[in-house]
Amino acid sequence: MPDPGYMRRSPVTYTGMLWLLAAQLVVMLPLAFYLPVWLIPVLLFSAGWRLRVMQGHMEQPGTIGILIIGSLGIIALTVSGIPRVSLDMMASLLMLGFAYKSLEVIQRRDAMVVILTGYLLVGVLFLYSQSILAALYGVFSMTVLTASMIALQSSKSTVMLVNLRLAGLMLLLCLPLMITFFVFTPRFSPLWTFTLPSSQAKTGMTDRLTPGDIARLSQSDEPAFRVNFAGERPAQKALYWRGLVLNHFDGKTWTQFADDIDPESVKTVLKTNEYNIKNRLVKKGSGLRYSVIYEKTAQPWLFALSPVVDIQGDAAFGRDFRIMARKNVMEPLQLTLLSYPLALRDVILPPWRQQLALQLPSQGNPRSRQLAQELLAKSPTKSHFIQTVMNRYRTQDFYYTLRPPVLQTTDTIDEFLFSSRRGFCAHYAGSFVFLMRAAGIPARIVAGYQGGEWNEKGNYLTVHQYDAHAWTEVWLENQGWVRFDPTLMVAPQRIEQNLQTAVSEEGSFLEGQLLTFAKYNWLNSIRKRLDSGQYAWRKFVLGYNGETQSQLMQRLFGKLSLLKTALIIASLFFVISLLWLVSLGLARRHPQEAPEHQLYRRFCTLLEKQGIHRAPSQTPHNFAQLAASRLPALASEIQTFTNNYIQLCYSPPEDSDSHATLQRLKTRFNSLSKAIKTLRKTTGT
Amino acid sequence: MTPWKTARQQWLQRRFPPSREITLGLRQVFVIPTATSAALLVAVLILFLMAVNFQSALIYGLSFWLLALLVVAIFFTYRNLSGLTLTALRSSPCFAGEKAVFELRVEDIAGRSKQAIFIGWSDEDLVEIDLPADTSTLIKLSAPTRQRGYFHPGRLQIVSRYPLGLIVAFSYAQLDMKSIVYPVARLQPVNEQATLVHSSSEGGAEVPRGTTDFDGVRNYQAGDSPRHIHWKNYARTGNITTKSFVDFSVHERWLDWDTLSFAGIENKLSHLAARVLQCHQEQQEYGLKLPGTTLQPDQGEAHMHRCLTTLALYAPETSEHA
Repeated sequence: MPDPGYMRRSPVTYTGMLWLLAAQLVVMLPLAFYLPVWLIPVLLFSAGWRLRVMQGHMEQPGTIGILIIGSLGIIALTVSGIPRVSLDMMASLLMLGFAYKSLEVIQRRDAMVVILTGYLLVGVLFLYSQSILAALYGVFSMTVLTASMIALQSSKSTVMLVNLRLAGLMLLLCLPLMITFFVFTPRFSPLWTFTLPSSQAKTGMTDRLTPGDIARLSQSDEPAFRVNFAGERPAQKALYWRGLVLNHFDGKTWTQFADDIDPESVKTVLKTNEYNIKNRLVKKGSGLRYSVIYEKTAQPWLFALSPVVDIQGDAAFGRDFRIMARKNVMEPLQLTLLSYPLALRDVILPPWRQQLALQLPSQGNPRSRQLAQELLAKSPTKSHFIQTVMNRYRTQDFYYTLRPPVLQTTDTIDEFLFSSRRGFCAHYAGSFVFLMRAAGIPARIVAGYQGGEWNEKGNYLTVHQYDAHAWTEVWLENQGWVRFDPTLMVAPQRIEQNLQTAVSEEGSFLEGQLLTFAKYNWLNSIRKRLDSGQYAWRKFVLGYNGETQSQLMQRLFGKLSLLKTALIIASLFFVISLLWLVSLGLARRHPQEAPEHQLYRRFCTLLEKQGIHRAPSQTPHNFAQLAASRLPALASEIQTFTNNYIQLCYSPPEDSDSHATLQRLKTRFNSLSKAIKTLRKTTGT
Repeated sequence: MTPWKTARQQWLQRRFPPSREITLGLRQVFVIPTATSAALLVAVLILFLMAVNFQSALIYGLSFWLLALLVVAIFFTYRNLSGLTLTALRSSPCFAGEKAVFELRVEDIAGRSKQAIFIGWSDEDLVEIDLPADTSTLIKLSAPTRQRGYFHPGRLQIVSRYPLGLIVAFSYAQLDMKSIVYPVARLQPVNEQATLVHSSSEGGAEVPRGTTDFDGVRNYQAGDSPRHIHWKNYARTGNITTKSFVDFSVHERWLDWDTLSFAGIENKLSHLAARVLQCHQEQQEYGLKLPGTTLQPDQGEAHMHRCLTTLALYAPETSEHA
């Protein structure tokens, strides 16, 4: 086998080195968002050094030099604050090696190692981001990497575009096969668990409610999750996406529990099973089935129409009728849920749970407490009292604003209810629950999202961060937990339509963002189209896992055995190969040959099998004479065929006749080949 | 040689019959993965494990894409060789131990462009060619020789890893071409006179229009050298006359096999070859006598090659027979 050593010995050309540097830069740039930025200057430094060496201006660094530079980089990584054993550290080390490798790239082999590492780093990028943009960038990186692979193989410096175009063509031709593999390859469950990227900022709803939080969220037009309803879409004002329950108030901030415990412990405390939930429910109304794709938040909280009675996907039930992810949502999570929004929850509430929902700080906000007592005294029933409090928000001059004044005193509830009277959902829900609890009625704050934007094209609902909302639940005998939303009293447009309408006069919608699609109507259709693209991406590409795969296979092929899958892949592979052969121009053998010449060539091979070879110098006429003398039985047939051929070649008939002559030549050829076959049979026996 | 190797040689012989023109196609081109593709497979495996562990659809896609790239590279690498046509043009002779040079035309049958194709007989003498679309190129390949006589170069290797280096496509071509290898030119320490048969000037024939001995005076003819014009006579008579000279072919030599006193056929041939070169350099006329063959004295490039070829192809059996 010729596997000449020239490949191993051949050094990388200057152009090849430039390509390699470009590919390295392209691969490393997006990772700089997630990993130490100084890795890029390290790459530029080492690649610059190598280029200077190639130009003959500098010396190749020695072993000691490389050791010093290498250990400097590793020291810098250890002091950079990245946890020792984490994906970030592994990715950073890979990047460091990737950057340093160009210091010693001399042979094509080294360069190949760099390129293969580059492909791995594209995979690492996908661990950090799975958006369409990241995927497109990944495709771009792959093209550049492949193009530099080509540049390494070609000896001369071709135009940049040529390599890129060839790389693009190759990757494009790969697509059908890649999709075949993607669709049909069985998915496995994880072999071992890894610590996921930890440096990611948490986004979305958090487990604490200080008035500033929701205001911050209302300034973000990032999508939080997308919903696809199996049946009819509920009315906009019924879309209360319930997430967290905040029980504890310390005078300033609402938290889930008294002692501020971390989300992981909350999860273990709250986790329960389906039966527990079903036992505490009285089903009413009809069920609502829908599927949700949650964006990554780095937190475990999930949002749904409460109460959920059935979950398909990786999530758990919580004791307070919420649902939670089993681990922090690091990549888009898809669930299919069944909810009964009208069901009664916890009609019987044990006393200790009632106590939990009556907690108030021992001191503070005296005027509010007094108001609660006064109103309660005037009300004949509890529900009458609740209605009075609700109406108070409407009748007195409360304003819904995203720019509330900063509350100066420690008695924030008093200050809000009696002096400032300006605020948004968090203020209203907080003051409402305070008044309820002060009157001895169990109540709690619920944080989540309200509403969402309906996408007609994609037939789904997008809930954005600015849809973040806080409302309340009050426990009433025989009714269990009942939802009350005091914001509805002040700004009904917020609930019935959306936040943008509610604050349109104020103009504070997404005011922190200079350029955003959601702000401008004329850009809205573009935005919706982009969003439906993103939804499709989440649903069909990122959401394509073992479960959806088996569903699809079931729908397409029925029951599939492993053998059948292999057969399908093999046949698709066959078709794709044919496609490649045709598109690469490998299927045609003699593209320019005229039919009569083809026939004559077949005639020659036919005679060759009989042992009569035609020398290149022999004219058809001479050859026919030779063949006739060797095969006297077929002499006349050989002569007529040759004469026909000569006539067609040298004195071609009129256009109309040429077709007929060609046909004649064909029949002559066929009879000749038949005659030869019979001849062979008779001589053989 | 092991039986397996002989079988392989025979098979290659059948698969690649000698021909003046060879076009590479499906039957001629072999395609095998290189070590780099093993490295790529390792990368694909790592990515696949990453995809499984992080349940990432994008990384699944990436690993499958790389795998598909490996497969498509087979087709692209094959395409880079397929349709390549080699035509044997000419060969130039050399002395044994030197490198014989063969000239070939390389083109693509469909006029496609080709890159980074290596052609040669051994790994050391590979020539790299790039063929832009619709062009042909002439290449000179050299092959080391050892013995005088006809030299048939072995099967040509044609190798390419373009475009990705993951796959190597290779083929062989047994081009029907040969070159003459002259005997090594090596003088033996012998009596110089022994090789000169007729060394006396007495027996030499006159060669007119020479430069050495005065012959007489004749009328000037256009083209006569100014140095030979009889200036004294011109001054006296006013007629331009030319002195004419003759050469005696005293330096005409016979390089004769039989006069060589030392032993060894190859030594004799080497010595004669060296003498041929010497005589050619001195621009003398010389003839060659070998057992069974005689070349009449002559001079010039063609004569030298004729003599050297005769020496190269000299078969000893006939000499012993004589």
